Amino acid sequence: MALTTAPDPTRPDPGSVRVRADRRGPGRVRHSEGLAGYVFLSPWLIGLMGVTAIPMLLSLYLSFTNYDILTPFSEVQWVGLANYERMFTADPSYWHAVRVTLTFALIAVPLKLAAALGVALLLNRAWRGVGLFRGLFYLPSLLGGSVALAIVWVNMFNRDGAFNSLLSLFGIEGRPWVNDPDWALETLMVLAIWQFGAPMVIFLAGLKQVPTELYEAASVDGAGRFRRFRNVTLPMLSPVIFFNLVLETINGFQGFTAAFVLSNGTGGPVDSTLMYTLNLYITGFTDLEMGYASAMAWVFLLAIAVITAILFSTGRFWVHYSDGEDR
Amino acid sequence: MHPATPPTTDTPVGRHHRTPLPRRRLLRGLLAATVAAPLMFGAAACGGDDDSAADPNAPVKLSIFWWGGDARAKLTEDALALYTRKHPNVTFEKTWQANQGYFDKLATLTAGGNPPDLFQIDDNYLAEYAGRNTTLDLTSYQKSGKLDTSKFPESLWQYGVVDGKLAGLASGENTQGLVYNKTLLTKHGLPEPTTGMTWEQHIAWAEQVTAKTKVPGTQDPSADYKAFWVWLRQQGKDLYQGKDLGFTAEDVTKWFELWKGARDRKATPTADVIHEGNSSDITKQLVVTGKSATSWVWANQMPDLKKNTKDELGVIAYPGDPSAQWARASMYWSVFRGSKNKDVAVDVINFLNNDQEAVKLLGTDRGLPSNQDLRRVVSDDTTDPAMKQSIAVEAELTQKFGKSPQVPIKGHSKVRSELIKAAENAQYGRATPAEAAAQFIEACKSAIA
Repeated sequence: MALTTAPDPTRPDPGSVRVRADRRGPGRVRHSEGLAGYVFLSPWLIGLMGVTAIPMLLSLYLSFTNYDILTPFSEVQWVGLANYERMFTADPSYWHAVRVTLTFALIAVPLKLAAALGVALLLNRAWRGVGLFRGLFYLPSLLGGSVALAIVWVNMFNRDGAFNSLLSLFGIEGRPWVNDPDWALETLMVLAIWQFGAPMVIFLAGLKQVPTELYEAASVDGAGRFRRFRNVTLPMLSPVIFFNLVLETINGFQGFTAAFVLSNGTGGPVDSTLMYTLNLYITGFTDLEMGYASAMAWVFLLAIAVITAILFSTGRFWVHYSDGEDR
Repeated sequence: MHPATPPTTDTPVGRHHRTPLPRRRLLRGLLAATVAAPLMFGAAACGGDDDSAADPNAPVKLSIFWWGGDARAKLTEDALALYTRKHPNVTFEKTWQANQGYFDKLATLTAGGNPPDLFQIDDNYLAEYAGRNTTLDLTSYQKSGKLDTSKFPESLWQYGVVDGKLAGLASGENTQGLVYNKTLLTKHGLPEPTTGMTWEQHIAWAEQVTAKTKVPGTQDPSADYKAFWVWLRQQGKDLYQGKDLGFTAEDVTKWFELWKGARDRKATPTADVIHEGNSSDITKQLVVTGKSATSWVWANQMPDLKKNTKDELGVIAYPGDPSAQWARASMYWSVFRGSKNKDVAVDVINFLNNDQEAVKLLGTDRGLPSNQDLRRVVSDDTTDPAMKQSIAVEAELTQKFGKSPQVPIKGHSKVRSELIKAAENAQYGRATPAEAAAQFIEACKSAIA
């Protein structure tokens, strides 16, 4: 990626490699060093196995069962593909959740990236106090998955919330945004877009990497501001855009907290905020159909993997890596 | 500061810190620690295996879990402390939290093989837990008299029976209560609603309230399963019939149409405000947020509602014939079937329901005391006016109560959320009452399958 830095000349690197090689003695010592490595790794390794890998594999197994949380494992019944069948053929609310999630991601992710890039361009200048603005714009995303923020949002976009008071100054009659099934999801999108700080910081870092010679050369060739953006900034920034796109797409699909808080954990009003993960949570923990919920989780994992793979395959056509040969 | 005493004996040892331990010894130590730690914890976890019945004075630590607010926590902790005073060998590991998320946590604890010995549960989940054999059948304790229900109304303890097993013991009694804003009505010279008004009269009354006060007269309860339930019983139907639904799509359509009519007449708030009130959160009930003159709640929630508003509140039965209402177990105490301390847990339930001091401490927080003798004592003693009101309305209704329905079946929590969904679809005008009803029936069928 464009973020790679040149090797640091101050580091006494080349020598130390040889020293380490010399110190490698007979096989036994090397063996115990390897073991020590694993021992020191073990906190992470145990965490990975215990908290991620084993539960994940277990959930794969559970997705083929009728597990309902309360029944002990020993009495769980194998149901084959029944859960998957139900999901694809007999569960309208599942497909509703898929639609809600796709709508959310397709609209919120591009707009969030556009906002992040736009603000990064504005803040990529040598103003006085620009650092303060960078901090301020980054602040909302620090509060990322925060419940408090979602609660504030609900109160701002109520019928008698701050946003409607603002509108009424202009003589516009507002709506009960968060309690209106036609607008609740849009309100969540605005919340997601507003938290553009993380991609913005990455864009800023990317912009700093674009060599000024390129702009100078373009100016000499008579390129205007737009042409410079179009033909210098965008291509040079494309790896960063790609990185942000992949990350934010995955994030967008996983949106949960805000929808949960806004709807009191129901996905309401009338399922308008029933995001995939929220539907999964309700199925598993409220309806106690954990086997079915596990199946949903695995389909979700595969779907995100496929979408990410598609993004990667399109990368070939528009992501430009300036470091070395074309790919 | 006084000068530090020069370190003497420590220093030489300190010097040696940098000397590397022989690596193999270090590794072996680490390995041993890694292996030993889970063994030690494991052993500790197995420590409570011995049966508490063997020695009645052996120390017992009983875990107990309930939902509720600070006030309930205080009362419950006092009552449990009283038990410990009388049985010094028994101590409690208390956990409590708000209602939202309570059942998620209870399910997770159960799945993890670590459920509390004793837990609070309500009729929305009792059948789910009992049907999966998570709860202990209390019948034998009841027969032997260790669990005394002789002072309970018959129908009240029976409302804890699932598939012939006593799965939970009512920790209090409540019934549906329509709470209204007295202050608002008095200010505008409007009549207070009364028990026994028909649904039609109630809606007409609400329409009049809206017209005079500009506050919508009544919350639209079409998404509220307990209101729907009472209405069904007045039509000779029920929510459940055995393992099946006790109503048809036509019934639901009629119910939704009744309230569509009310909305058209402006007797209710707009759909988005109704949606706010459909939350189970006490603080969001429209009668306390001032967005409607009534809310459809449980009678024992009066004191809690009162804490959230300055206005005077009144409480009556739901409209229609009050004999459709019944003595409902507001919540139960259940014992985990795999508990190591079953006998003690049952004794604690018995204590919380039948010991005069304990019941007086607990008051009507979990509903009217199940023990009728003690109920009288508590109602004579109470000074909280809101509590007095809820006791009065229940006492009045007790004369009129009908037969208890069966405990809601497995899938009930899904049925409840589907009713909200369908009703809101009609309220927002996205579906006709008939369409919403068909949608609801369809969803119910898969929920209870």
